[in-house]
Amino acid sequence: MKLFPREEILERTLAVTSAEHRDRLGLVAMDVPLISNLDILGNLALIKQFRENLPKREAEALVLSYLQRFDMERIAYRRNPNLSAEERFCAMLIRAVLVPEAFVVIDRPLKIVPDLQENRFFHDMLTKVEDLWSSCVIFDYPWNRERYEDIPVDIDEL
Amino acid sequence: MMYATIERIGETSIRTARSFYETLAFSSLVFFKMFDRTSYNSAMRMVLVNQIYFTSVQVLPLFIAVSILFGSPMVGITLQVLKHFGLADRMGSVLMGFIVTELSPFMTVLLIALRSSSAINAEIAVMKVNRELKTLDVFGIDVLDYLFLPRIINGILSIVCLSSLFSILALASGALFSRFLFDLGINEYTNLLFLSADFSDLFILLVKCILLGFFITLIPIRFGLRATDELTSIPVSVLNGMVKVFIAIVIIEVLSLLLRFL
Repeated sequence: MKLFPREEILERTLAVTSAEHRDRLGLVAMDVPLISNLDILGNLALIKQFRENLPKREAEALVLSYLQRFDMERIAYRRNPNLSAEERFCAMLIRAVLVPEAFVVIDRPLKIVPDLQENRFFHDMLTKVEDLWSSCVIFDYPWNRERYEDIPVDIDEL
Repeated sequence: MMYATIERIGETSIRTARSFYETLAFSSLVFFKMFDRTSYNSAMRMVLVNQIYFTSVQVLPLFIAVSILFGSPMVGITLQVLKHFGLADRMGSVLMGFIVTELSPFMTVLLIALRSSSAINAEIAVMKVNRELKTLDVFGIDVLDYLFLPRIINGILSIVCLSSLFSILALASGALFSRFLFDLGINEYTNLLFLSADFSDLFILLVKCILLGFFITLIPIRFGLRATDELTSIPVSVLNGMVKVFIAIVIIEVLSLLLRFL
């Protein structure tokens, strides 16, 4: 986890990191939204279908198994506008780990889940897919540090 | 005053020429992608099937109704006029030359352009405004393969197939009218059509349908991509795109007429 004192430093570092790991980047960010004319199952299966030419049925089965980890099968056939913020974050996180050899970058998660009730939310989310990424980094600001209780990534204040 | 007018004409000409060149450059890019086997992955095939369903299958009841309601009276009136002027022997060439090669593709492209081209234009513009194209790029999904190619291939298939269907329905109603007006049996009618069918005309018809299908999907995609980050740019991009689609239809129709009659 990298904590930045200012927005412009964060965005510059994010751009560099994204470019460096372009081929295996799994970006979770507010400005990388889910595709609105596909349901969640379609959004997530698309990654495997396009990048690995996995047949639709296999890709969807894999996505459903990941949704089950979060107990979120209910969102499979919903579209982006009909999701709660927590469900949207979960879908975006799964989409990121579906990238082969995923280098997961989570950009200011509180922008996606602004009204977070539980400080352990990110811990609970990340531990469920910890085995699926090759590395994971969160970009945020120092004043949000307390919102990341027990997260399974190193914290690095810049 | 004079200078300003010349300047404006020059600017417009340069802008038009540039737009025309960009369209052709984009067309060649898409054309070569069509023959690249790697473009046809699982996701692309799924989109292609969906597009064919939305464009060709979903519209079938309406299209068949329009073909019968518009095509049949058209054929009936044409045959009535031929009978009136004592030109019954020209029936085959008129049906093949007018109904099949001109009316069918025109009616088909009109319906598909009004229904699908505008939808494609709006869809791409909305995706651009919502930053969804950026999402596809970030996740390594080639928009040309995933978004554009299925829509363009579907455009070509839809125009070719629906145009053929319109022709079949119009000629079938022609069989009925020829029975009543000229007392022609079905075999005689069919023979007459076959004898009147000119291979070069049918080839031009096929090429025309392919070009129409290609450009009435490619142009809306290009104009959808021109949308900015603002919602208000969506109607503007659709408006401009649909005007260019109309111009493309007119150009292709005129070129096909020139090819046939020169």
